Amino acid sequence: MNNLGYLFAAYTIIFIAIFLYAGFIWRRQARLEEDLRNIERKLKDVRDEIAAHNGRDVRSASS
Amino acid sequence: MSAKTARLMGLLTLALMIAALFMVFVYVPTEADQGIVQRIFYFHVPCAWVAFAAFALVAIAGIFYLWLGQQIWDDLAYAAAETGMVFCTLVLITGSIWAKPIWGAWWTWDSRLTTTLILWLLYGGYLLLRAMADDTSQVARFAAVVGIIAAADVPVIVVSVRLWRTIHPAVLVTRQGGHGLEDPRMVATLLVSMAAFTALFGWLLMLRFALLRARWRLECAARELGLAAAAAGDLR
Amino acid sequence: MNGFATILVKDLRLEARGGDSTITLAAMSLLILVVIVFALDPVGGARDAATAAGALWVALIFSGMIGATRALVAERRNGCTAALLLSPVDRATIYCAKLAAAVIFMAVAEIATVIVMVLFFNLDFDFRLARLATIVAAGALGFAALATLLTAIADRVRGGDLLLPLLAVPLFVPALIAGVRASTAALAGAPFMAFMQWLKILGAFDLLFLGAGYLLFEHVIGED
Repeated sequence: MNNLGYLFAAYTIIFIAIFLYAGFIWRRQARLEEDLRNIERKLKDVRDEIAAHNGRDVRSASS
Repeated sequence: MSAKTARLMGLLTLALMIAALFMVFVYVPTEADQGIVQRIFYFHVPCAWVAFAAFALVAIAGIFYLWLGQQIWDDLAYAAAETGMVFCTLVLITGSIWAKPIWGAWWTWDSRLTTTLILWLLYGGYLLLRAMADDTSQVARFAAVVGIIAAADVPVIVVSVRLWRTIHPAVLVTRQGGHGLEDPRMVATLLVSMAAFTALFGWLLMLRFALLRARWRLECAARELGLAAAAAGDLR
Repeated sequence: MNGFATILVKDLRLEARGGDSTITLAAMSLLILVVIVFALDPVGGARDAATAAGALWVALIFSGMIGATRALVAERRNGCTAALLLSPVDRATIYCAKLAAAVIFMAVAEIATVIVMVLFFNLDFDFRLARLATIVAAGALGFAALATLLTAIADRVRGGDLLLPLLAVPLFVPALIAGVRASTAALAGAPFMAFMQWLKILGAFDLLFLGAGYLLFEHVIGED
């Protein structure tokens, strides 16, 4: 029956669209979270460096 | 809005979708006039409902953005617009696929489909504005204004297109929205489908919104890193 | 002199002293009418109210998109937007003044367009044109309200000259439908009562965009 083809096509397109969109969001989310983790790691490193530097200063100033 | 909420929403969507599919393909009887193709209706109509509701959300979020100035409202508007666009496109595609076997033409200028086409153009304009204005600091304001006036225009569009079609009926007799649902099983199926698509929209909206919020956090963190690195550089 | 009048008079004076807005508008309208006649080929120059009305509105929209907003662009081109914003005139008043200038430019061009339409489509110069003029004026008002607001945005966005028609056309649809239907009826000789519903839609559209423009203009005007 030809009409079955139309019905099938309509529902298939709906689900393909949903999966594509959800997939697109998923991939972007994963990449973004990786970038975020990188930056937060770098931020921690820099902050540690500043703290260490300040620690040294305080010690040398008080001696 | 945590990952757990999103997961719950996803599960709810899945459950409702399965129920809806069952009802559409097993439970509901075949319609007398149009045959089995009529079943497209049960997903076509909820898509339309979502497309219009999403657009209202875009406008409301826009109003809150202009009023309160908080980025979170702009992110909500953008998420709603993108998600709504997906569903609006689906309305047009499924409507076209439905029209072909019933009316013999891919496109009938009936009032509902025509209004949805205009809505689709409005969505497109809105998203294009966002894409083009992305490098300006004012993109959120511009988008909010456009979203508001477009949504305000929609009722006028609906009325004018409906009047247009009544006075000048199409060569093909337009179906009266297919809401002549005699069988209560059809009504039930439609309602479940509506619920399923509303949940689906909610879930996709949450995901897209979370993505935008994450991007915002990333930008803030990057800025902090820049400041911290500069401070560290000064100390060396 | 109050702010509204100052700005409006300034824009009109600029136009009178060598601006090209009205000429451009009128010329564009004329050209579009010619294109439509060749494209649609109304048989033997038929006295067809519907085709004439349709052609008229197509010309109005497209020429309006190109020309009606020159009032706003003039400031940007010379970097004077900052000066305008620093003046003690509130934004909504600036909007009204710009809108008024756009309407006046469009009105001049539209008179020319209607005359050409009557000639091209073999209609008559009679009282029906008076009704038509009212309808076209209402349409121009709505379009100017819409376009003035959108141009403030489009000017500040790259690729804005594509964005303006892309946003303006779907937004203008109700006025377009109502305007063409009302114009067709008017040209066919019907009294206002006969097509009152279209006039109501046109009126509602005008009110909506005048209000929206008045309230929202302050959010979009700026310089960069």
